[in-house]
Amino acid sequence: MTVSDYFLPRSLPEALDLIGTHGPELLVMAGGTVAMPLINDGLSLPRAVMGLRRTGLDRVAQLDGWLHVGATATLTQLQEQRAVPLLSEAASATASWSVRNMGTVGGNLFTPPPGGDIAVALLALDTNVTLAGPKGERTLPLADFFTGFMTTSLTDDELVTALSVPLPSGSTAYTKFGRKQGNTPAVVTVAVRLTWDADRIVDARIALGAVGPHPIRARAAERGLLGTTLDPDARAAAATAATAECEPFTDAIATDWYRRRMVGVVVARTLEKLAAGATREDR
Amino acid sequence: MNIRGARILGAPRDAVFAAICDPDTLLAVIPGCRAIEKVDDAEYRAEITLRLPGVVGTYRTVVRLDDADAPHRGVLQGEVEGPLGSIRGQATFRLAETDTGTTVDYEGQATIGGPLARLDSRFVEGLAGSLIGQGLANLDEQLQRERTAVIAVDGHESHEEATG
Repeated sequence: MTVSDYFLPRSLPEALDLIGTHGPELLVMAGGTVAMPLINDGLSLPRAVMGLRRTGLDRVAQLDGWLHVGATATLTQLQEQRAVPLLSEAASATASWSVRNMGTVGGNLFTPPPGGDIAVALLALDTNVTLAGPKGERTLPLADFFTGFMTTSLTDDELVTALSVPLPSGSTAYTKFGRKQGNTPAVVTVAVRLTWDADRIVDARIALGAVGPHPIRARAAERGLLGTTLDPDARAAAATAATAECEPFTDAIATDWYRRRMVGVVVARTLEKLAAGATREDR
Repeated sequence: MNIRGARILGAPRDAVFAAICDPDTLLAVIPGCRAIEKVDDAEYRAEITLRLPGVVGTYRTVVRLDDADAPHRGVLQGEVEGPLGSIRGQATFRLAETDTGTTVDYEGQATIGGPLARLDSRFVEGLAGSLIGQGLANLDEQLQRERTAVIAVDGHESHEEATG
């Protein structure tokens, strides 16, 4: 079976109408970096496909303390914005130029682990995700968007339209650890954001990728950092807590045992970077 | 493919078992379920459409509830067929009463055929686990809603108290 219909809507209402007409059997494709390899391998056999590239959902804009990223903005666009360095870093650590030119920020939310690194940075930044459907729009924290492995709270008649990122105060750091330096799936990805009051941490976010059914927050590790000065003991305790609370899996890249070990190592290294003041520009 | 898991549902065991045997409840709680039909006392046929990242499709499903020992346990024999192949298997579930409700324990094995079998088993197992988890969460929500409605109608407790 081959694709018999390809739709290229010119607006969001047109895209939602097409979903309404064709139902959940319509394959929605943004950059195509997830869907096309599956279609070419005969592992996805859609009759009808809708591409979102012309819907005008690709704007990246800074407004009132927020960075608004349209769902079909490419990873290259995310890499080039300067408002949130953590997101540029996450985008530049993802895949290759050619894939970043096609792959979209919204589509990256649906990439099964060990992919989906952008969401790790977005989670650490307390990003909100906006979904649009026939009944209108709704916005929810990204942490509530993921419901399981390859499942989200998006209903069959909805589309992701935008991600809203509060411009971070405090310090951030991102580490993607893979088998090689670049263009590689993650063994583990760690994104951290710390808010400070003088030399004490008052708010912490630690997000982990490739070690769970979807990008997750290491909440026990976050709690353990509160009130500390990010001293070596606090960093070690956070690494231990994150090691305990992750849910790693085995694939061709790494075993679950190795991934769990690396969570501790990479969380500790990422916190060390922050302690050394490498990216503490706003502190 | 092996599947196992457990979840606590906030409803009495009899209500949980009855819900598992009720086509209307199953239609409401199974992710992507568009139609379900009870063929006889033990067999159901369902049509499930899943919109997954990069993959969409409708799967015809036949499930038989064998060796049912209501409200304690049951064995489900099933077959799922779709454009990407088939999954055949069986699963045992056990219901145990707890202080707060009922624990559902399940364990099953399945054989995957067709192009689906080329995927890393992590994908099919992970997805099956995720969909079962979502289905049980939906079931829990539905049972809580029914319980709240019964309490409100009986007038023993106000609606606000019942929902906390």
